[in-house]
Order: sequence, then C-alpha cells, then structure tokens
Amino acid sequence: MQINILAFAQTRIELGFSELTVEVSPTETPRAVLRRIAPDFSLDKSIRVAVNREYSDWDKPMGEAFELALIPPVSGG
Amino acid sequence: MKTHIEFTHSPIVPPRMEIGAKEIGAQVEFLGIVRELEDVQAIAGLHYEAHEPMARSTIEKIFSELAVLYPCEEVRLIHRLDFVPVGETALYIRVRSRHRRSALRMTEAAIDQIKADAPIWKLT
Repeated sequence: MQINILAFAQTRIELGFSELTVEVSPTETPRAVLRRIAPDFSLDKSIRVAVNREYSDWDKPMGEAFELALIPPVSGG
Repeated sequence: MKTHIEFTHSPIVPPRMEIGAKEIGAQVEFLGIVRELEDVQAIAGLHYEAHEPMARSTIEKIFSELAVLYPCEEVRLIHRLDFVPVGETALYIRVRSRHRRSALRMTEAAIDQIKADAPIWKLT
C-alpha cells in the first residue's frame, strides 16, 4: 500500500521534503519506514509520530494507514 | 457547545461582538501577539506552519474534553499561518459561557493544551 509521509518545521528542513509518497507494508512500523527512506536521519525522542492524523507510537505497525506525519516539538499560539 | 476553528493566511480580524444572547454571562477573548524579541533576538515576525487537518481535529478534541470540566456555550479559535509580523495577532480565542469561571478556565486550559499538542510550529 502507499502512504504519504509528511514532515514539518525542523524535520522538513532536515529531511529535505514536506511530503513523500512511499510503498509500505501494513506490518511496518513508522520507525522502520523512516529508517528505510532516511537512514541517516537522527530520530530524536522529542519527535512524535502521527498516523492518520492521530498521535501514535513509533513502534506500532501502521496497518491500513494513509498518512504518517513527523511531529517535532510544537509551538503554536 | 458550538466550536468554530479557522486557519487564515491573512491578518486576524476579531469577530464582531455578539450581543443579545440571554444565557451568556461571560465572554473571554485572548489574543496571542508576536513579540519583537524571540530568545533575546530582535525579529521582524514569525513564520507559522501547521498540519491543518490534524491541528483542527486536535483542537476540537481539546475543546470537547475541556467542556466536560468547564461547560461553555461557544468557542471560536482563529490561528494565523505563514508570516505574522511583530505586533500582529497569531492566535485569537473567544469563549462564551453562562458563568465567568468556566470561560476563564476554558481559555487558559485550552491555550496550554493547544501549545502542547496541536501540530502548529513557529519558525524565526
């Protein structure tokens, strides 16, 4: 299946993309997908992951997801 | 509770004061304004970006959960995105309730949670 990977703020700058479509397996975790597409990217503990627009776990298989978003520390308002 | 959430790329114009609702005893407005100094460095403004659909659903959930603790009649939030010059409003929140305590507490708690969880970023 294909999912969109979204990167924002600092992670967008570091990864060099804001959106990327990749082929993934439902059993893959967000951490495994990120390691595959960006092996040199340092996944800091402060970066959260959202799957289908809800906070999730880096080590939880994504299932039939359509979107994975990297959420660096937020600072709205 | 009525909830209105809006993201805009233009200057925020606070919505017109609504008068005449007989059940509203308190209205709280909060404006988050861009300051001149960010980490002791003078700036011209801040760039805001957001994961808009997720920010919207996250903020809706925050208001909905807080409404259990602080019952309110209406909340309205406008967040400006892209470049916001110093002195201009980046965040506008208006809360209307029967009693002042609910509106005041809702406003403060919502801001705290939005700043912690809503996927919105400011970049210098």
